[in-house]
Amino acid sequence: MSAEDQILAIGRQLAGNLPRSASPGERVDARLLQIVAGDPALRAALFRFTDVRPACTSVADLGQHLVTLLEDASPASRMGRAMLALARPRATRPLAALGAGGGVQRLAHRFIIGRSVDRALPALARSWDAGVAASVDLLGEASVSDEEAEAYVGRCAEALHALASGSASWPARPVLEADSLGPLPRANLSVKVTALTPEIRVEEPRRGIEDALERLRHLLRLGHRLGAHVHVDMETLDSRETVLGLVLEVLSEPEFRDGPSAGLVLQAYLRDSPAELDQILSWVDEHERRVPLTIRLVKGAYWDHEVIEARQHGWEPPVFTDRGECDRNFEGLTRTLVQAHPRVRLALGSHNLRSIAHGIACVRARGLQERDLELQVLRGLGDDLAHALARMGLRVRVYSPVGDLLEGMAYLVRRMLENTANDSFLAARSRGAPLEELLAAP
Amino acid sequence: MSDDFVNEQHLELRRADVRDALLAAGEALREALPQRVPILVGGDARHGQELVSVDPGLPARIVALAPSATEADVDAAVAAAAAGRSEWAERTPVERARVLRGAAALLRERRLELAALASYECAKPWAEADADVCEAIDFLEYYARRALELDRDGMLGQPPGERNTMRYLPRGMVAVIAPWNFPLAIPTGMVAGALAPGNAVILKPAPQAPACAHAVVSALLQAGVPAAALALLPGGDQPGAALVRHPGVEAIAFTGSAKAGSEIVRAAAETPTGASHVKRVVAEMGGKNCVIVDSDADLDEAVPAIVRSAFVYAGQKCSAAARVLAHEQVFDALASRLAGAVGTLRVGQAQELGVDVPPLIDAEAQQRVASYIERGAREGAVRAQVASHPGAGGGFFAPPTLLGELPAASPLLNEEIFGPVLTVEPVADIAAACDIVDGLPFGLTGGLFSRNPATVRHVVGRSPVGNLYVNREITGAMVGRQPFGGNRMSGTGAKAGGPDYLLEFCRARVVCENTTRHGLVV
Ligand SMILES: Cc1cc2nc3c(=O)[nH]c(=O)nc-3n(C[C@H](O)[C@H](O)[C@H](O)COP(=O)(O)OP(=O)(O)OC[C@H]3O[C@@H](n4cnc5c(N)ncnc54)[C@H](O)[C@@H]3O)c2cc1C
Repeated sequence: MSAEDQILAIGRQLAGNLPRSASPGERVDARLLQIVAGDPALRAALFRFTDVRPACTSVADLGQHLVTLLEDASPASRMGRAMLALARPRATRPLAALGAGGGVQRLAHRFIIGRSVDRALPALARSWDAGVAASVDLLGEASVSDEEAEAYVGRCAEALHALASGSASWPARPVLEADSLGPLPRANLSVKVTALTPEIRVEEPRRGIEDALERLRHLLRLGHRLGAHVHVDMETLDSRETVLGLVLEVLSEPEFRDGPSAGLVLQAYLRDSPAELDQILSWVDEHERRVPLTIRLVKGAYWDHEVIEARQHGWEPPVFTDRGECDRNFEGLTRTLVQAHPRVRLALGSHNLRSIAHGIACVRARGLQERDLELQVLRGLGDDLAHALARMGLRVRVYSPVGDLLEGMAYLVRRMLENTANDSFLAARSRGAPLEELLAAP
Repeated sequence: MSDDFVNEQHLELRRADVRDALLAAGEALREALPQRVPILVGGDARHGQELVSVDPGLPARIVALAPSATEADVDAAVAAAAAGRSEWAERTPVERARVLRGAAALLRERRLELAALASYECAKPWAEADADVCEAIDFLEYYARRALELDRDGMLGQPPGERNTMRYLPRGMVAVIAPWNFPLAIPTGMVAGALAPGNAVILKPAPQAPACAHAVVSALLQAGVPAAALALLPGGDQPGAALVRHPGVEAIAFTGSAKAGSEIVRAAAETPTGASHVKRVVAEMGGKNCVIVDSDADLDEAVPAIVRSAFVYAGQKCSAAARVLAHEQVFDALASRLAGAVGTLRVGQAQELGVDVPPLIDAEAQQRVASYIERGAREGAVRAQVASHPGAGGGFFAPPTLLGELPAASPLLNEEIFGPVLTVEPVADIAAACDIVDGLPFGLTGGLFSRNPATVRHVVGRSPVGNLYVNREITGAMVGRQPFGGNRMSGTGAKAGGPDYLLEFCRARVVCENTTRHGLVV
């Protein structure tokens, strides 16, 4: 079988494991998302409404925002016009406000697992039972002061404690707890550097690095002590040099040679990501660590931001502007990373069946065990997929944000953007595009 | 030359190689200091060293030595221009535009070096220094194109038998009195705006920034502006005042304080006996710029944007944020987050990457800001302050400060400080905030953070300011995108970098010609 045929076969198998019919709730969601994706004005109004939702202090306030945002957008679709017709009259406005507000709440619930780690633990335990691991992310981005950064570290530390003690009694799940290189922690926390320091300066990465060093050390020490994995997320290009520099610098310290398990993120939408991977791999070669670095390969969550920022400054966008190029680069980086085994551990963060099937095929082609690949999805976007992957005996981890609505808004809006973007894999799938098309080489 | 205007791209400082090149340019420039800046009149250069411009971060470092122009120099410059300016005025608009764009190309070739010069002469942090060079280039490119557009026939009615034309002609002689805070961009903008329609220009730069002005003038002369049409008179208030009073000067372009601006308007209004014109004054003056934060604002975005608006370049921008008016529902959260954010600011030398707040321009500014802060601490409460730089070089540093609880009449709430000082106060609602803004004599920039389109419309309708920024920083206006200029005591005249600016330096002439002979249209 050719390599391409392998990929297709794996993809078909994956698709076969997905639930054939969505639950009624999911069907409504999918239908709504389709309408929203097809009405740009309504989409804009709903984004803005979602964005301002947590800042509204009363139903009246909520209703007032809803009606002005809808009026401003004057949506063309039937649903948009119906919403406006409901929101406009004073008598029905509270109803519209509560409906739309409730919609946001529902959406938030879909993407956010709980207000605190403690409250999320039962759901995390259920997933674990079903063969799905998690990485917890504490919502709230961009600390503007030292106090906020300290508070974030405090919350992270609490989360590590709660995860470590909460997961201790979970039943054994061998697929989730070891690969061929050794054991894998149950407790897994994703951390954002913009929350760790208020001093990220694009023109001087050292500033943010120096300010965040001690805070990250603190979390790594704790992770090591508790046997937890600490993963540092990647954000916009403005902070990449800070994030990468920080992670490599702190992990170079002798103190962390023996642990904890730690990781970083590579964004395949960046044109220069192959060079970035080279830099990471040469660092790996130069630094002896007992627990290999985990690299989470993703496409990147800030595509719109990067393009707009570059256009406003007249710069060449740092990201691919062609979907195919981005996906091909993702596959190229996957191959390099699979080749780099056992120097690094690889996790693929994607909901794209093609990208995932390609990764699995690469691992098999190289003769590695399937447990040497981790597949990661986002809560709310990849829940079905996670279970399908688990059923196939693969190791899968769900990125699970924790926090309240206010803290989660930026995250939520990014997910909505992704979910209603016309050219995303998920949109194509929910439109019902044929499997052959979905699995075709990019 | 019909290609559309696009802004010069700022350096992408998030790239290490770009930063390295900039730092290297800084070092090269530093080694070549001091520069010598002459008085340039009609092609003659006279050197001297009465005027000393220093590095505000290390005053022992001399950036430039220049002579100080006298009234005699002013007379000579006006006479030379009067004798020779027709050469420039008589060139075609296309030729003049080519020269201006040639000057832009020369500045573009020297971008890094010029940024370094602005950095050393005026303590501009790198990103700001680079933006200053880009804006200078933008003004040249934009006004060159605008002058060509003005030359095209407008929308006059043309019934049969009648030929109507309107032409914009230069006023004649324009004096430009420039500030130091955008040491390349503002002199370039005012000079280019006057040159584009064919005026002769005499530039009197700020005494703190002669070298930057010299760089601009050199580029223009090298690109082909005739020596008679552009003079450089470094110096202090004296040559400036003499220019304003001079009967040969027909228009004055000024950017600076409200006090100096009002004085210029007054002096220019006294038409000297024998004068053949009423002087036109274009003045950009100060502001007391308020940012309104509504209860539905996104504080994650508002806090960093306000801090940058207030403290970048140590608050020495006429557009800088001075006063935050926060809806009482979010006041506590906003004030404490602002305080925390101010606490993270780094004070230091402009040439050090990653410094947020550079030194002030000179000792006088340092004194002035210190006394405002002292008064603010007495009348209200210091909510946050960062100790100013401890360095031994005697730089003119000032501590970034956030003040609150000030009485309504406090000068801290009403006067332009032009330093790293921000105040924050609660308001009952947006209407109350608008009333406060309305009660100020200024009207330059303003900010609003709100996610309600109705509130945005309301504030847009009520705000007296010339430039209102919604949900973003309130500084950093771009040529051709955000034409810049204030209302009220903040300025008089058209907005810089906008479509009307050149008209300030023109007079219009309409010709109506009868094209019929005995009933026949010929
Ligand atoms: C567990 C997990 C952790 C994650 N952590 C991070 C993180 O730390 N940092 C981060 O940035 N993201 C992170 N992501 C988010 C991830 O980047 C997005 O979810 C992902 O990009 C969606 O890609 P996909 O493969 O699922 O979908 P696909 O539909 O295959 O790809 C969509 C992606 O393609 C890219 N794209 C969209 N339009 C274009 C275009 N016109 N040209 C080129 N490329 C385009 C964008 O990146 C877009 O998100 C994470 C995702 C997961 C699952």
